[in-house]
Amino acid sequence: MKHSKMRIALIAVAMLVFFVSTVGAQAASESGAGAGKVVVKAMAYGDNSNQEGVNWVRIVDAFEKANPGIDIDYEMLYDEAYHQKVVARLAAGDVPDFAYMGADARWGAPWKEASQQYDHRDLVDWNYFDQSLIPPMGPNGEIYEIPLGTSNITTVLFMNEKLMKSLGLSAPKTYEDLVAMVPVARAKGIDVITIDGADGWAWGSCVMSTVIARISGDPNWMSKAVAGEYKFTDKAFVDSLAFLQKMVKDGVITSKSVLVDYGANISNYSNGKALFMAQGQWVAGGIENPEVANNTVMMAWPKLPGEPADAAGSVAAAIQVGYGLTKSGASNPTVRDAALKFIEYFYSEPETTQRLRDGAIVAPVLKGYQVPSDLPSIVKQKVALAQRAPNTDVIDAFLSGDANDALNTGMQKIVSGQSTPAQIAALVESLVKR
Amino acid sequence: MKKRDIMALPAFFALVGPALIIYLFIIAYPIVYSVALSFSDFNPNRGGSWNFVGLLQYKTMFSDPNFWHALKNNLIVVAVSVFGQIPIGFVLAYILYRKLVKAANFFQTAVFLPHFLSTIVIGILWRRMFEADGPISRLMQITSGDPSAQFDLMLYSDTVMYPIAFALIWIYTGLYMIIFLANLQKINDNLIEAAKIDGASEPQVFFKVIVPMLSGTILVSVILAIAGSLRGFDLIFSITTQGLQRTNAMVLPIFMYQTAFQNYSNEMRFAYGAAISNVIVLISLILIAISKLMSRKTDV
Repeated sequence: MKHSKMRIALIAVAMLVFFVSTVGAQAASESGAGAGKVVVKAMAYGDNSNQEGVNWVRIVDAFEKANPGIDIDYEMLYDEAYHQKVVARLAAGDVPDFAYMGADARWGAPWKEASQQYDHRDLVDWNYFDQSLIPPMGPNGEIYEIPLGTSNITTVLFMNEKLMKSLGLSAPKTYEDLVAMVPVARAKGIDVITIDGADGWAWGSCVMSTVIARISGDPNWMSKAVAGEYKFTDKAFVDSLAFLQKMVKDGVITSKSVLVDYGANISNYSNGKALFMAQGQWVAGGIENPEVANNTVMMAWPKLPGEPADAAGSVAAAIQVGYGLTKSGASNPTVRDAALKFIEYFYSEPETTQRLRDGAIVAPVLKGYQVPSDLPSIVKQKVALAQRAPNTDVIDAFLSGDANDALNTGMQKIVSGQSTPAQIAALVESLVKR
Repeated sequence: MKKRDIMALPAFFALVGPALIIYLFIIAYPIVYSVALSFSDFNPNRGGSWNFVGLLQYKTMFSDPNFWHALKNNLIVVAVSVFGQIPIGFVLAYILYRKLVKAANFFQTAVFLPHFLSTIVIGILWRRMFEADGPISRLMQITSGDPSAQFDLMLYSDTVMYPIAFALIWIYTGLYMIIFLANLQKINDNLIEAAKIDGASEPQVFFKVIVPMLSGTILVSVILAIAGSLRGFDLIFSITTQGLQRTNAMVLPIFMYQTAFQNYSNEMRFAYGAAISNVIVLISLILIAISKLMSRKTDV
């Protein structure tokens, strides 16, 4: 009996010690106490299976070796998981010192809502970054993050030039030229344009953003509509939605597109199952078939029916995301300086060049950067497109929440014959008004 | 209280205390917080003060067609679990237990195997099966002779739950089969032999002997199925693509997630999301209470 009491007391003490030491160790590790290092909390974007994530880990390791007094304590997440965790961390008050962020309605909304956006204009070394290549992000010209590259083109047509030539076709100048390719492509058993139509956002970001600007003739139609200057029930918007229907009816895009997801879309194009692929510039690095990648021409959508001449050749483009300090991180000068030091290291010329080669960015924002002459063909295509094409609004940079969701889902319904353009336009207008 | 019991109190608190503290912080605190949040307009991301808004979030929710759409889909998932997975799992367990098939171990492993896989992996696997020109579409093209045939049930809100129900049965039936099989193996064989000697047929043995003896197991399985179905998020999230498919297949947890984490046009979205999650818990408790009541009345 005496032994059993002793045993219970010992177990109880052991559990208490374990509990206290575990909680204590966790707290110590979070504060970085005792290590004598400046701990900078970061939220990174990527995962261990993509280039972005692999590069991040490598850069952090190299930076910490070169700067033993700084510890980059990061959490790296990708895609949906990243967006979810940003909201959760901000809501919980666990604000990172710097993070991967944007400034628009999708990438900037949680930071803006939590009042964690911080104007970098007085902090950034403008001998290092080229201010003329970084657009203003706030109402007074604030710069909330350092974009990874210049504007992010979301409405690119990737053309498989070799396949086109083998079928006796040449680059389209008008939409009618695309329609004329339908019988040729069908005879070969392939599609004219492949798009990941199963992803709602692809219709908004990669197609409709350019269609509304082209058909309305106003490159800023979307931002003006969100500001109340236009209505989503206006003829220009309804006609733009109807154009999606027309593309399916004409066979330029097949109705099965709404069952094709992001990965399958790139795979279809890489395997020569379509003459063109509709996507954003970031996909350039993801075309794994070198024969297709080396024979790809990146172009703006051709002239659309009813398009005014001044909108010709435009592409939708948004401010690219990048890394930026949070207000919380900037409030501590030691942490702020350490974070800025890392950010400069992250954007260094060799790393930026690697990012350019990987196809992750359009063009660098570094001052005096010399573009290497030996870049892959598809990267050169991208830079050329960015230099020649005028820019228009990207829808989800301005439209957010359930109105944007209703528009994306609505376009999928239009393409699959479940709704009319007028119905979707009315729904979006009602949600924007609400 | 005896002196010996009072002496044991410190040891009792030392043993129970850590677990109790963890429980209070991880389970009890979020529940209380969620209930309080649902009656306010507080947005933890924005900060500021809590204002009591009464039943505003609940009124908004009940007038939102998305809520009713998600609830309908959730009840379909519950029905598939209770009337699909459990009966099929029970029958399969009985077949294995009575050795009505050869290679029972093979079938047992085959049926249970999906349960070893990550739900996200299963979701992606089935998404690939249902995609344009995917395996199921190819099968349709071969059997119909129509090269343009596509499996498009995921595109329509009336039909999206059929393929999802199939996937749900495929994944979880094995779990219930194992639960029933473990309990069947505890039944004394003599009871079945006695029923056989008395002239009972195989269905009679099943319905008159086996089912009543496993009533407790059936009830536990029903509770597990209801609770699992109502909080189910991962499979439906991963089996659908963002946009039309996910909207069609939306269940309450996805509705809650999209409301609280993505809908920036609603400044009270966290409070609204909390209201949705509270209703999920409430519906779960009601369904479990109904199933317990029914099991008592029917003495199943």
